Amino acid sequence: MKTHEHPDRMRLQTTQALVAAGLILYVPANVLPVMTMTVVGDVQPLTVMGGVMELYDSGLWPLAAVVFLASIVVPFCKLLCLSWLLLLHGTTIRQRERCTLHRIVHTVGSWSMVDVFLLSILAAVGQLGALASVEAEPGGLFFAAVLVCTLFASESYKPRMIWQTREATAS
Amino acid sequence: MANPTAPTETLRWIACPECEASCQERPLAPGTALRCGRCGVLVRKPLRATSLQPAWAMATTGLLLVILANVNPILTFDVAGNVQSNLIITGVRGLSDQGYWPVAALVFFAGVAGPALHLASVWYVLGACCLSRRWPALRRVAHFAEAMESWNLVPVYAIATVVAVVKLDMLGTVTWQRGALWMCALSLCSLLTMQLFDRDFVEKRLEDLA
Repeated sequence: MKTHEHPDRMRLQTTQALVAAGLILYVPANVLPVMTMTVVGDVQPLTVMGGVMELYDSGLWPLAAVVFLASIVVPFCKLLCLSWLLLLHGTTIRQRERCTLHRIVHTVGSWSMVDVFLLSILAAVGQLGALASVEAEPGGLFFAAVLVCTLFASESYKPRMIWQTREATAS
Repeated sequence: MANPTAPTETLRWIACPECEASCQERPLAPGTALRCGRCGVLVRKPLRATSLQPAWAMATTGLLLVILANVNPILTFDVAGNVQSNLIITGVRGLSDQGYWPVAALVFFAGVAGPALHLASVWYVLGACCLSRRWPALRRVAHFAEAMESWNLVPVYAIATVVAVVKLDMLGTVTWQRGALWMCALSLCSLLTMQLFDRDFVEKRLEDLA
């Protein structure tokens, strides 16, 4: 880490690294199962989407919609929005809209924690008797990592950096 | 010769809280607001609060509720006679027992430590404002309170609990316990504290105190 480097340049690079990491981790987070539920010998690995489908199938579509929005749409949109902000960094295109977008990303972001909390409540069951057990799976780890990446990325990219031109950041 | 753009005593230059552009403060008529000329964000609005005591009361209540919500079981889960009561910390321990301690740490931070630290720092700042005491490190704690606001995720946890109950219902019998009520109250209290915490008014009080 060079000390003479512009602090905002460091921030920009940190954000780029975190968004790239988030985009990569997003794939295993959604492909790998988040938990395994065993009900009377029936072993059922569930991905994030699987959990939503299960809720939908049991007729609770408002809850399914909330979980779908919070744990699939929000993280993806957040990564997309942050990538857009980074792509346009240093240009003067749509600066006001980018500011608004950054604010929305910052407020909505923490809602995707629903799925992590859900995992923790369910994992508390652990091995309860011979009939039922819930076990966390590696997918949960990736999912939590995506969340942490996006949270810190939107934290490290300050709105004032939207208004900096390329020359100002480089100098 | 006086510089026409120099800040006078009544009209100062202030930084936009979002994009840090300089905006000139001006007296605000009721119903108007000062918006940043560059990004359009609200910079100053006429002071709407006349007292910080309601906010302080809310923060105090919230702190007590944090304790109650964390020591009372939120729900009990029963599978064929095996009864388990669940607290927020039970989930944290469950995850770390299964080897997922990074996720457990995240849950602990956002579900237990975050709300407690947020409410405690807000309580400290508001207490100093209400009692006109110059307690140490006020400005630093005020910054900390702002940073912790987005980590007070008790309302999100409450929603997760509702979803969890639906899922656990497929495995066994779930019963709501008193802790769930405390958690609802804590969510409400946290949201109200954030609403009542008037940043401009606190800023003014802190300046008067210093």
